[in-house]
Amino acid sequence: MAAPSTRQRLLSSLDDVEIVSKELLKVLTAPTQSDDSGMDQLIQLLVQKDKEIQTTLTTAKEQGKLQRKYEALKAEVENRDQDIRQLQKSLKDVESTLSTAIYQAKAKLKAVTQANGRKISSEDLIKYAHKISASNAVAAPSTWAIGDPRRPYPTEIDMRLGILAKLGDPTISNQALQQQASFPESMNTLRPQPHLEQALNAPQPPPPQQSGLSWQHSVEMQPNNLPGHHSGLTPPTAHHPPPHFEQKHKDHEDVEIMSSDSSSSSSSDE
Amino acid sequence: MAVQRNFSINQVEADEHQKLRFQVELEFVQCLANPRYLNFLAQRGYFKEQSFINYLKYLLYWKDPDYAKYLKYPQCLHFLELLQYESFRKEIMNYQCAKFIDDQQLLHWQHYQRKRMRLLQEEADRVAAQQPASSSSGVPPTMMTE
Repeated sequence: MAAPSTRQRLLSSLDDVEIVSKELLKVLTAPTQSDDSGMDQLIQLLVQKDKEIQTTLTTAKEQGKLQRKYEALKAEVENRDQDIRQLQKSLKDVESTLSTAIYQAKAKLKAVTQANGRKISSEDLIKYAHKISASNAVAAPSTWAIGDPRRPYPTEIDMRLGILAKLGDPTISNQALQQQASFPESMNTLRPQPHLEQALNAPQPPPPQQSGLSWQHSVEMQPNNLPGHHSGLTPPTAHHPPPHFEQKHKDHEDVEIMSSDSSSSSSSDE
Repeated sequence: MAVQRNFSINQVEADEHQKLRFQVELEFVQCLANPRYLNFLAQRGYFKEQSFINYLKYLLYWKDPDYAKYLKYPQCLHFLELLQYESFRKEIMNYQCAKFIDDQQLLHWQHYQRKRMRLLQEEADRVAAQQPASSSSGVPPTMMTE
């Protein structure tokens, strides 16, 4: 301990005063002794101790004041701390709310830019939706029962009525094919002529690299509007007919026996 | 002059060719919506040929909206996407797989109608249940609710 505390000083001074006053009383009560110098000393000591006590008391008072100030300030500091903690809490809440809001706003913006990238008029969408629904292609008709031959995909009959089946038939002339091509088919949703022109003036389907339709004319496909997304396809040669078109001939014969195949065992060469 | 005329004739022929090709590919891609047809193709080994696989990849251009708007059976695009994967091409060789897909496709096709019927039925039941409650006569409700 560095210096004795005020309380200790006060108490020790009081003890000293007690001792000195006892001595004084002893000396006073013993009249035989004429020890004046001793008594003077004691009195001076007493006075000195009294002065000490007084100073210590003033110090104690001042210290008390300081202590009160200190406690007031401490309470103030505690209040401020509490306010800061409240603010911190509310800031955290706000941060979480804002982050959710920003996340949702970003998602919305992304959706908006995505939608703007591919604009389609609502009228076109509704027309298309009507077309595919009215023909019962995507939703069953209300009168559909189990034996109904209608299906959500082109059935055998539809396939046989189409151009694909007639392609492999050598008895049908090219003229007849072209004629059939110009009439609406069961799988085509539009009137052919004006819209086909539009389709062909719009992005062209890239010339089929493997299907040169060599039994048609010897006109070479011009690859000038190729979007470049077929890597790995071999370039066309007009000399050998592509294999899968030959096999489409076989399709035509096999189409008739397709339904009976459903009961045959599957080929197990795997 | 003759050369120009020949060229224009060739151009007309090319246009006709393009039209025919467009229709042929439109028909073929929509046939892919038929799982039995896919099974048929798989059993004849078409899916093993690289040229056919390349052709399927080429047909993906039908996903573009400018082409897709001509499709009557848009489900074919889903099957086209599935066919890009070899595991699906192997699986579809199995008749059971094709039959399962067919059944699910039919059920999905009927889903909208069934849902609508159910909603209408529920509405009818609710209205019927309310009516005897609101009427002052003490006749008990006779309609069975399902």
